[in-house]
Amino acid sequence: MATAELSVKLQSSSGSRVKDFLNANLINILAAFLFLLLAFFLLYPILAVFIKSFKGPEGFTLKYYAEFFSKNYYYQSLYNTLLLGVINTAVCLVIGFCLAYMTTRGPWLLRKPLKIISLVPLIAPPYLFALSLIILFGRNGLVTRGLDLHWELYGFGGVVISQCLAFIPLAFLMIESTLMSLNPNLEESAYDMGASEATILRTITIPLLAPGLLKAALLIFVMTIAEFGNAAILGGRTPFLAPDTYTMITGESDFNMGSVLSLVLIAPCILIFFIHNYLLEGKKFTTIGGKPVASEPRKITPMIKVPFVIITTVAAGAIFICFAVVFAASFYKILGVTDRFVLDNYLDFTSNQSIYNSIRVSLVAATIGALIGVLLAYVIVRGKFFGRTFIEMVSLSGFALPGTVLGIGYLLAFSAPPLKLTGGIMILALNCVFRFLAVGVEAGISKLHQINIEIEEASADLGASFLTTFYRIVLPIMFPAFIAGFIYTFMTAIVSLSAVVFLVSPGFDLAAVKIFDAAVYGEIGIASATTMKLVLIVMICMAILNYISKKTKIGASLEKKGVA
Amino acid sequence: MDVKANEKPMLILKDIHKFYGTNEVLKGVSLEVRRGELVTFVGPSGCGKTTLLRLIGGFTDISSGDIILDGQRINDLPPNLRDTRICFQNYALFPHMTVAENVGYGLKINKWPKDKIAARVNELLDMVELEAFGERMIDKLSGGQQQRVAFARALSLEPKVLLLDEPLSNLDANLRLVMREEIRKLQERLHITTVFVTHDQFEAMAISDRLVVMKDGLIEQIGTPIEIYEKPANEFIASFVGYVNFMEGQVASIDDKTRNAVVATEYGNIEICLEQDNIQSGDDVLMVIRPESLSLSLNCGQKKQNVICGTLKSYMYAGSIAKCTVMVGDKKMIIDQYNPRDAQQFLHAADVEVEIPRSVHLLKKK
Repeated sequence: MATAELSVKLQSSSGSRVKDFLNANLINILAAFLFLLLAFFLLYPILAVFIKSFKGPEGFTLKYYAEFFSKNYYYQSLYNTLLLGVINTAVCLVIGFCLAYMTTRGPWLLRKPLKIISLVPLIAPPYLFALSLIILFGRNGLVTRGLDLHWELYGFGGVVISQCLAFIPLAFLMIESTLMSLNPNLEESAYDMGASEATILRTITIPLLAPGLLKAALLIFVMTIAEFGNAAILGGRTPFLAPDTYTMITGESDFNMGSVLSLVLIAPCILIFFIHNYLLEGKKFTTIGGKPVASEPRKITPMIKVPFVIITTVAAGAIFICFAVVFAASFYKILGVTDRFVLDNYLDFTSNQSIYNSIRVSLVAATIGALIGVLLAYVIVRGKFFGRTFIEMVSLSGFALPGTVLGIGYLLAFSAPPLKLTGGIMILALNCVFRFLAVGVEAGISKLHQINIEIEEASADLGASFLTTFYRIVLPIMFPAFIAGFIYTFMTAIVSLSAVVFLVSPGFDLAAVKIFDAAVYGEIGIASATTMKLVLIVMICMAILNYISKKTKIGASLEKKGVA
Repeated sequence: MDVKANEKPMLILKDIHKFYGTNEVLKGVSLEVRRGELVTFVGPSGCGKTTLLRLIGGFTDISSGDIILDGQRINDLPPNLRDTRICFQNYALFPHMTVAENVGYGLKINKWPKDKIAARVNELLDMVELEAFGERMIDKLSGGQQQRVAFARALSLEPKVLLLDEPLSNLDANLRLVMREEIRKLQERLHITTVFVTHDQFEAMAISDRLVVMKDGLIEQIGTPIEIYEKPANEFIASFVGYVNFMEGQVASIDDKTRNAVVATEYGNIEICLEQDNIQSGDDVLMVIRPESLSLSLNCGQKKQNVICGTLKSYMYAGSIAKCTVMVGDKKMIIDQYNPRDAQQFLHAADVEVEIPRSVHLLKKK
């Protein structure tokens, strides 16, 4: 009797039909709203590029594609880009593996320092390495002049070296996390059965890591072929697709050909995205539970130890030198040419203006991005509607998309009504939001997976509406994910170059673009000082993130996924 | 098990110390393991038992001391050159190989010819009753089957010493009993020297020839299960292998001929039959009284020898056993009644008497 009364009371208190409908379908309404956002700011620009590549003055045409595949220059550019990707992936994988092997299996003494140095490039914009190579080996470089050499840094070799250095941390992070998830008892068992170190590597470690290594390889490949800065700064006369796209748009204002070039770059990305999602699905070897013991250092045979130590030391040394050189160069007009110690570079007005702009854009991007990210994560994890996986795929895809595509896409989509955004801060911020959405979504998803859905059901059971539950239960729990997503987006946005380089308007420079221009025009001091400022900002973000992740463990789970 | 006392031990540990940084996890451990013997390291978590096992296997460096396997010092040999094989708690089966490939891995590494490998693998799978499972992948096996594969793999090279690191802890309770028996039978049949690590004292007692009870990096006592249970060396061991009602007292007298002794306690004099010779008259002692050695009866008011009176606090009847709690003054005593036929009369009883047996182990108080 009493329960019947209560239930009647509950029903009547839930109010009108509209309210009931809202309550029952709020998650679906939210999903629909988010999907509209994704469609408008992510899919529509890509579609715009796609259409542009087929649309000549007289309507549909294939002539731009025909041109691409018939001209030797473009063929060369494609070839260079793919070759760069292959070499880069191979080198990063080998170095990343050596580093990860040493930090997880090597002597205790080496583990920490190697790990720190291999993660250091994370705090730098990728083009820092191009800059430092110019300072060292450029026409007026320290080494070039010091040894009176006559070589050419600008070209394929320079790009490969700078790219490799820039992508080591990503390779290292991904491989380290797979190595750490490998039960050390497996290798110990093989060791116990009489296998030597090399045999363990060949028969146990590498076969078991294969899916993880392949994943890392695919991601690095996609990111290196799409990376803009190093190739644009150091490419010289050697054509690469990403910088070619930029010249095509800014130099020749040929949007049709620019679209074709950027889409050619997207093809391998899409291919690899599908391989990643479908071929590798469920390819992870399951290992039997039980507490995994931290890998104790083994007596690694010199046959393996010596080359590993050499490779890791050279890589770590090179990374360290690059940082040191840029730091030093930031205090001279041009290091090695003028040798008067100055602070002018740090006081330069345009540099500081660009830093200020970058911070503003990134703050806006991070706020919107983290919010949408958390909401998307919620919808993806808890939603039960049709097309959930599609939304997940779309929201994570921005990360693997070449920046040039979204750069051109935004130019094409938002330079005219219905939504004219060009020339303002919003187009830059929104571009960053949707390119780096994966970061916030991943943070949210990993946090949500830690929360039992029963917590929400308990709240609903106690009579709370969907909105109340979301507001009172979900949001507070998701708050650390929001903050992590915020800082990650901020960090990624502030150093990103490849898309925003299309979107900055004259008089509103971003720091990354400023560094790029300064490096191209030989203003090494300004470029270095601006880079150091960015490094400082990113370091502060990392420190905050580190503090948060110690409190909530969310950053750590993200770092393992290699999203940084 | 026929153990020839004069035979050279298979494994000798001499004064082993192990430091992790400044943290000393093994503080001088010495032990001899005889040929064909199953010795179990048992103790609470953090006592150093797994570290000791890993030291024997060669996975962890020894800080000081010696490990001697079949007369040869093996301190500096890596695991792949030691004639010991380990079975990990999580089995560590190679997930990218079949059952047969797992079992044959060590043979292949040691360059056995193919046909011999096949024959040996069949023989091993036969032994663990998995002859039909050779081509299966590891994740298509149940927990118990995986355990057997791991065991077969460890035995494939006929090691001198088999090391088992909590091999049963991932199995559910019933299967654990079955596998425990199987491992023991196989071990006795193959007469293979085995070191077993567990935190489960009952498992340890059921499976071992001898137990090594460890605590805080030191060996507390080495002995057969019977010795450990009935003649524990100290309070820790006494309560580690089962519940104990400790009772304080002082030895009032010992009859040198009959070895009958009288212990004066605050509940009266208890007469016991002394089976140990480290106790003198006048010693302060702790009596180790196991719950199942006490007998409970309704109070009839007469004063009898070795009987103390108390109040029945609770009587939990569980079929084959009844667990009783009796308060003697302010002292709580636990009594296990096996086969409690006359349970009915105790259900509402208040005053009861507890009879203390004459065979009681004494611990000297320091």
